[in-house]
Amino acid sequence: MPAYGPEPETNGGRRPGMLAITFLLLALSISYLPDVAQQRIAWTLRVSILRPFLATQERILAARMNAQNVEQLMGQIDSMTAVLSTQAALFDENSTLRKLLDLAERAGPSFLPTTVLRGGTAGSESMFLVRVGAAQGIYEGAPVVTWRGLVGVILEVQKEISRGMDWTHPDFKVSAMLQDGTMFGIVDNRRRAFREVDRLVLNGTPFNEDALPGTPVLTSGLGATYPRGIPVGVIDEVEATQGQWGKSYWLRPMVEPGEVTHVLVARRGAGGDVGALWLADSVQVGEARTQLGRRP
Amino acid sequence: MKTDARIWLLFAGLALMHLLLHVGFGIGRAAPDLLTVALLLGAREVGMGRAAGMGLLFGLLEDALSVLSFGANSAAMTIVAVLGAVTRDLFVGDSLFFLVSYFLIGKWVRDLVYWFMVGETLRQPFVDQVLIQGLIGGMYAAIVGVVLLAVTGLRQEAPA
Repeated sequence: MPAYGPEPETNGGRRPGMLAITFLLLALSISYLPDVAQQRIAWTLRVSILRPFLATQERILAARMNAQNVEQLMGQIDSMTAVLSTQAALFDENSTLRKLLDLAERAGPSFLPTTVLRGGTAGSESMFLVRVGAAQGIYEGAPVVTWRGLVGVILEVQKEISRGMDWTHPDFKVSAMLQDGTMFGIVDNRRRAFREVDRLVLNGTPFNEDALPGTPVLTSGLGATYPRGIPVGVIDEVEATQGQWGKSYWLRPMVEPGEVTHVLVARRGAGGDVGALWLADSVQVGEARTQLGRRP
Repeated sequence: MKTDARIWLLFAGLALMHLLLHVGFGIGRAAPDLLTVALLLGAREVGMGRAAGMGLLFGLLEDALSVLSFGANSAAMTIVAVLGAVTRDLFVGDSLFFLVSYFLIGKWVRDLVYWFMVGETLRQPFVDQVLIQGLIGGMYAAIVGVVLLAVTGLRQEAPA
């Protein structure tokens, strides 16, 4: 504060004191004014001096409300998305299970429904466990299928649990044929840098015969490991030719092992030809997948 | 810039800042009572009459926002302004001790008068509102007032 100086209001002697007393009396009397007068004074100040500050407060409040609304809306969207995504998965699983049930119904007691368990550890990518075993009539070499087609084969059977490999395993091989039985060969897989692009190949087919893209490939039943008629894939395109005597074809697999959760496992005496079980759905789906499946 | 001009600039700035913080941003007690600081600052620079007028205006501004205790702030601020102006004749200089006491007691007296004027229905317990909150608010105002004077270079030590 500046140093002490003379009293600024020296004119008139008593004038500052009288002015102060006047203001003081005025201030003390304001409390006793009628409500209408008080409100009029307050309103006048609110619409004049205080107006910009009140407007600022209104804007800030509006901004806060908007922010809260946005948060609420985002929360609702997140909740709805979560619900919808859950429902989509449930719908998909429900659809898969219904089709599997249909297949199980058609297959009768020769196939057992079960759940696929995957180890998730390094080196177990192509292996899976199923909760059925020798006690349920499962045997080594039993095919594992879904409503779409062949998933893999059981390798090791214990009393209540079995271990199998899917078609992405390097040791997987199956004797196969075109759906009309005009061409036979061996289906095995080609590993790629990424498991998602592993492919099936139909080998050893005659050079002079062509398989049209989209033609379903089924197990042939030769070798007695797999029953005849389980869909494996559909012809995509020629992979290679072997001299003048043979060709191999890329296949679009019927089953993506990664998305398999529920399967049917064949029991002893499942029969020699099970092709009729898949004619209703899998082969049609396989034809549709020719437009959507992976390419080499 | 002359000292008087700086004082008035600070005075107006504090009043605007108080309204912005308390009314515009709605910060409440977290923001210091800059209106009282401004009034105490200005009261020693003008005569008692003008100080009382400023106090009445400031009080009315605060009363305009209170529905149930209209007039309490006007009375409190006017009395504080008059007392602040009176200190000019009673105390000379602006030592740190004086300034701290001046702002602290000024703010505390403002809360005390307000407590008396606000009426029993709105009055909080004396210990809570006047002794505790009043003294805390007084210390807050004293710190802000002294810092502002130091920052703006308006504080001049009185000769010993």
